[in-house]
Amino acid sequence: MTIVSAFLVPGTPLPMLRESNPPWRPLADAYRQAGAALAASKPDVVLVYSTQWIAVLDQLWQTRPAISGSHVDENWHEYGKLPFDIQVDTALAQACIASTAAFGVRSRDVDYDHFPIDTGSIVAAHYLLKDAKTPMVLTSNNLYHDGDMTARLGAAAVACAAEQGKRVAVVGVGGLSGSAFREDIDIATDHLLTEADDTANRHMLGLLEGGDLAAVKAQAPAYAKAAKVDMGFKHLHWILGALGDRFQGARTLGYGPSYGSGAAVVEFRI
Amino acid sequence: MQQGSIIGGFLAPHPPHLVYGENPPQNEPRSQGGWEPLRWAYERARASLDALKPDVLLVHSPHWMTQVGHHFLGVPRLAGKSVDPIFPNLFRYEFGLDVDVELAEACCDEARAGGLVAKMMRNPDFRVDYGTITTLHMIRPQWDIPVVGISANNSPYYLNTEEGLQEMDILGKATRRAIEKTGRRAVLLASNTLSHWHFHEEPAIPEDMSKEHPENFEGYKWDMRVIEMLRQGKVDDYFKLQPQFIEEAFAEVKSGALTWMFAAMGYPNIPGELHGYGSVIGTGNAVMEWNLVKAGLAAPVETIPA
Repeated sequence: MTIVSAFLVPGTPLPMLRESNPPWRPLADAYRQAGAALAASKPDVVLVYSTQWIAVLDQLWQTRPAISGSHVDENWHEYGKLPFDIQVDTALAQACIASTAAFGVRSRDVDYDHFPIDTGSIVAAHYLLKDAKTPMVLTSNNLYHDGDMTARLGAAAVACAAEQGKRVAVVGVGGLSGSAFREDIDIATDHLLTEADDTANRHMLGLLEGGDLAAVKAQAPAYAKAAKVDMGFKHLHWILGALGDRFQGARTLGYGPSYGSGAAVVEFRI
Repeated sequence: MQQGSIIGGFLAPHPPHLVYGENPPQNEPRSQGGWEPLRWAYERARASLDALKPDVLLVHSPHWMTQVGHHFLGVPRLAGKSVDPIFPNLFRYEFGLDVDVELAEACCDEARAGGLVAKMMRNPDFRVDYGTITTLHMIRPQWDIPVVGISANNSPYYLNTEEGLQEMDILGKATRRAIEKTGRRAVLLASNTLSHWHFHEEPAIPEDMSKEHPENFEGYKWDMRVIEMLRQGKVDDYFKLQPQFIEEAFAEVKSGALTWMFAAMGYPNIPGELHGYGSVIGTGNAVMEWNLVKAGLAAPVETIPA
């Protein structure tokens, strides 16, 4: 079995930067729970697509074997630094790069000192891997790719892993509803910006939990539009593409606000 | 204290290709040149800036996009290696910049007084965005003039163009008040491309200029139309047209830098000097100057009492 686990996780750094803040604590706890589940699935590699790694030319894949340092988020600089220490499965990343031409996508490797690793990938690595040295494959969100193309990328990455005989965990990093507070708030009172967003998020999570693929696929575009979902919910397409549209259901490990926007940690049953 | 003034403003786009083409010692990748007409345009702008002798450069960059308010660099010295996330093959640049924190704080205070959400960025490990760095390098590669770096709040995208640019107008006016109160002679830099349609793949040799041209004829025509208006000093007319320009040319001025700059300068209907125009990976880029000293709207440096 190539895929051993799959997760939808948020890219917001707020739970990592202020774990003790009550509205963000459930997301941090859920993220840790997901990390434990991922570790239990014993993957050889974690395939990560983050909405916050923006590309506009080509599809970018991280190929630097080891990347470490700390990052200050451009929005949340007042809360401090995000340290990271990430190992990359370069051989698999190179195979992914070579694979995408078959469906018309030019891919490119990224192997540069001081390359700005995106916040979402850092947060995912922090919680899902903790001190584990499981390597990752990190890829970008090309703004000109739609959900279908993103799904093809996910499928291609899994196919490459299968060819190399590797067990993979699949991770899509991104938010749910995108409307957020635009002024300073008391973070202890953070909540979903609107009841409509909250309802829409919970409905979509319910569909995922029930494993109703047809309903998920049918309703995701309207949900993405109405709730201004982070990058059109392409991170879900990455996961579904990787899973070949097959999953039994899902478990929402945590759901909550990130400065008014929606965030959830979801473990798929595969 | 002598009242401060804005002595000039530049439309100063930030394609990292221009730094790459120039091969400065700070940038790691080496090129065979490329984009010369735009780089020569910046040479003329550099000479003009040098003559203006500003105390400070203020730059508004679309690549520091913020959600909660308008942010200002607020650390005295920021340095490091900046790698462009889109073009890491072209731009890996060692920078060090001095921030005019007093002026930045004044801008922040005035923005708040104007009703905006505004914040100081105090984290010494902050990664300055490549748009800010590219614009600053291209206009002043000596890095010897203090800087105020200003984020692009995402309101034009999150809300709508009109509401977002209204915020930039308020921000510009607040910036002007801060400059006047702190006694600075300031030059403003609007770090924006015009039409922003671009190619989706890079040539094997990025600086192969046989592959460089406007991506979109409509975008090119729009660029020429607005440049001609601005050259003629029809600033009011331009701003009436700007929403349509943004919509039809996918213009990067949507992020607000040009509106901020002109609001700060008081929307003077004076001719802008076009130093040059060129495409970079298909986008339209103009280097333009509005010299308020030459226009008689600001005093030359030699008339300021010591």
